[in-house]
Order: sequence, then structure tokens, then C-alpha cells
Amino acid sequence: MFTRQLSFSAPIFLSIFLVQEAVISQFRLPGGGFSLLLIFALTWAVLSQPEIAAVIGFASGFLMDLSQSASGPFGQWTLLMLLAGYSISYIGYGDDNVHANAIGIVFFVVTATFLVEIAFLLSGALLGVALGSFSQMVTTLFGMSLWSLLVAPIMLPLFTKLHGLVFDSRSVI
Amino acid sequence: MRNGGRARLLLVVLIVTSLFLITLDLRGVKVIEGFKQGTQTVLSPFQRAGAVVFNPIKDFFSDVSNLGRTGNQIEKLEAENAKLKIDLLNRKNADAQLEQLKEILDLAGIAGYKVVNAKVISQGSSQSFSQTLTIDSGSKAGIRKNMTVLSQYGIAGVVKDVYPNSALIQLASDPAFKIGARIAGSQQIGILSGQGNRSATLQLLDNSTTVSVGDVLLARGSSSNRPFVPGVPLGYVSRVDNSAGAIAQSAVVRYYTNFSTLGVVAVVVGGPSSNPGDALVPAKPQVTPIPTVTVTVTPTPSPAD
Repeated sequence: MFTRQLSFSAPIFLSIFLVQEAVISQFRLPGGGFSLLLIFALTWAVLSQPEIAAVIGFASGFLMDLSQSASGPFGQWTLLMLLAGYSISYIGYGDDNVHANAIGIVFFVVTATFLVEIAFLLSGALLGVALGSFSQMVTTLFGMSLWSLLVAPIMLPLFTKLHGLVFDSRSVI
Repeated sequence: MRNGGRARLLLVVLIVTSLFLITLDLRGVKVIEGFKQGTQTVLSPFQRAGAVVFNPIKDFFSDVSNLGRTGNQIEKLEAENAKLKIDLLNRKNADAQLEQLKEILDLAGIAGYKVVNAKVISQGSSQSFSQTLTIDSGSKAGIRKNMTVLSQYGIAGVVKDVYPNSALIQLASDPAFKIGARIAGSQQIGILSGQGNRSATLQLLDNSTTVSVGDVLLARGSSSNRPFVPGVPLGYVSRVDNSAGAIAQSAVVRYYTNFSTLGVVAVVVGGPSSNPGDALVPAKPQVTPIPTVTVTVTPTPSPAD
């Protein structure tokens, strides 16, 4: 069951990764833009069980590390997304205020995006990754969060529908 | 209990795998490099297709980000915008890219750089706080790692990774970007570091030298012209930091290149036979005098005269 669900998820994640790299990366958006894969993975994690969310986080982080624009060492995004996926699912799992509430899901996703980016900065600083000026970091951090706030509600119906198709859940909003 | 134990085991295995990947990468294991190269080889045809489809609209967002400037800049932008609209009507992107290409070739021609031109096919995401772009030429066109990349105004970046049909460019605005710079005229030297936007910081190496606002910076060049060829215009000093406790003077530099509007770039595959010196220093903008129109009115003699 677990393997079947994850194998159904794989082509969806690969497609989102392709859209991110071939379409969204064509635009240099103000405030740093957004990562569709990051938003998708976090939404998927909110709707899933913790262990599935951990695997999803691991796989999406691995794809983010494969992106040419990833600046840190390979595995940094994998580790962060694994922890983010598991944490977000662990906190929200079983709570209908989160699962059955679109605002709750968006709130979780946007907050998680903000925290994951902060975690990336902190771990990057520990690993010796050059991160730029403080003002630029703050701009990108808040810019990406605002973009997530804009994109997550628009994409949420599609993402929950896909999740429902794969996992046969009733979380379609 | 059993399910909880299984979940914990899974989590531990995944964390260990992630840490293993980080360790392998930090130790420079080539398997990871192969993974990334393979991905880029697969992705580059999609990125090319994306660049073709979205090229007409992708400048819209960078234009939007320029809103909120001072009135003078807005007037200037409006004038530029009007000019761009005319260009757009004529030949849209083809003309714009041709113009960029012409200016790049002029720049390269003056200095004697041998260049390979390439179109930008992907801008790169900012999720990792890095500044990169992908071009549609790679090792098959003679591009190698650590080669200088030019825009029509000067430095654009450096080749970070090369694939058969594409290459990843680290922009000069990337926080990890560093280049040896010298001030045109005075020949003082320093290190210029990217800051994540169009500004960069210059750290002078000699504590007895000074820098002034408006000073033009050029690339010092590297041995064997890699990663940087000498003489490439970098930017101009926009602010000088006069901190009392600083060992050497530092300054904020504004790059000539606008990184958000790069459509065509040139990779320097062969350096000049001799150092071009200050030959590439951009000409200062000339003030065009507004001609005074003098109208002389001669009264027509009346019929009574």
C-alpha cells in the first residue's frame, strides 16, 4: 500500500520539478519568487501521515538538491525537507482543524516555507555557504513567504485533488 | 507500538542517508556530480522550450520590480519604456537580443577576447539564496568551467558547471562570487564580492590607498585568463565606507550589468594577446545641449508706406 502510493506520487513530483525548472525558473520574480516544488511538497506533507510525509520530504529535497540553482552541499535540502515534511505532518496529523480547513493548510504551508528557508540559512552558514548581505537575505525570506501566501491558495485545490487521487483520502477541499 | 517503531526507524534511516549525501558532497565524491550533470542534460531541452515559449513575457516581472523609484528614474524608465515599446513593435525579442549581442561583440572586439555567444534558457530559482542562470551552449561549443561571462555592459559572471549542450553561470551578484578588481586610472587593487543584488562590496588590499565615488572598476585578470580575463568593466563606486576602525578602505559598487534583464551573454573562450588596460572603461554619459531657437520677426511694410 505504502509503496504503491509513493510510486504514484513519484511522477507527480517529477512533473512539478520539471515545471519549476523549465517554466517558473524562466522568470526572475521580485522578492526571490517562489518554489512550486517546495509549496507542493509541504502541502502534500500536511495532508499525509508522518512517515509518508518524511519520505515525500526526502524525495522532494533530493530533487531540490538536483536543481542547478541549489547553492549548498548536495543533501542539505534533502535533510531539511525530510525534517520539515515529518514535523509539519506530525504537528497537523489527526487535527481536522488543519486537514479539513483550507486556511489552516495555507497557514501551515506558508509558515513552514518561512521556517525551512531560515533553517536553510542557518545550516548554510554552518556549512560555509556564502549567503549574501543581511538585507538581501531578509528580502528573499519575506519575498518567498509572500509569494507562497499568494501561490498556495491558488494551487491548493489542485494539490489536494491530486493527493486525494493518490491516497484515496477525503481531504479534497 | 510496532507502527511507531517502524516510523522512527524510517526517519532515522532517511536522516542518516541525508547526512551521508552531505558528507559525500563535501568530500567531493564524483557520483553526486554525475547525478547533477545527468539531471541538467535531461532538463536542458525543456528549459530551451520554456525559454522559447515564455521569452516574450518574462521581462514583465523584472519591469514590475523596478516600480517605486524616484520621479527622475521613473521619467527615465518611461522614456526607455517608450523606446522599448517601439522596438517591441518592430521585431520584439529578436531585435533586443541582436542589440545585446552587437554590444557584447563590440566590447569583446575592443579587448580582443574570443567569445562564444549564448542565449539564457533559465534564470535559476532564489530558493537557495544563489544567483545563477543557464545558457544554451556547453562543452560542445568549447565552453569550459571557470571562464568569464560577459554582458553588453561588462561582467555577467563565471561558468560554474558545464554540460554538453548547456552551462550553469554563477552571476556576479551571487553572494559566493569574488573577483580581483582594479580601479581604472589609479590602478589600486581590491576584491569585489557579490551581495545577492546589483550592488557589490569592494575591499581594497592596501590600507594606504583611497577610493572615491564614481571610480570605475575593471577586472584584474587571472593567470592564463581563467577564471577572469583582464580589463572587463565591472561597475562604479556608489558609496565609500569610511569606518574609523577599518584596516583598509571598503566601498559599495554598483555593477554595470542589470542581471534581471540578461537575454544573451558571451563566454570568453580565449583571452586577449595583451592586457587591454583601461580601453573598456565605459564612456561617461554626454550632456546634450538643448539648442536655443531664435526667431527674428521682421515687420512687413504696410501698404501706406
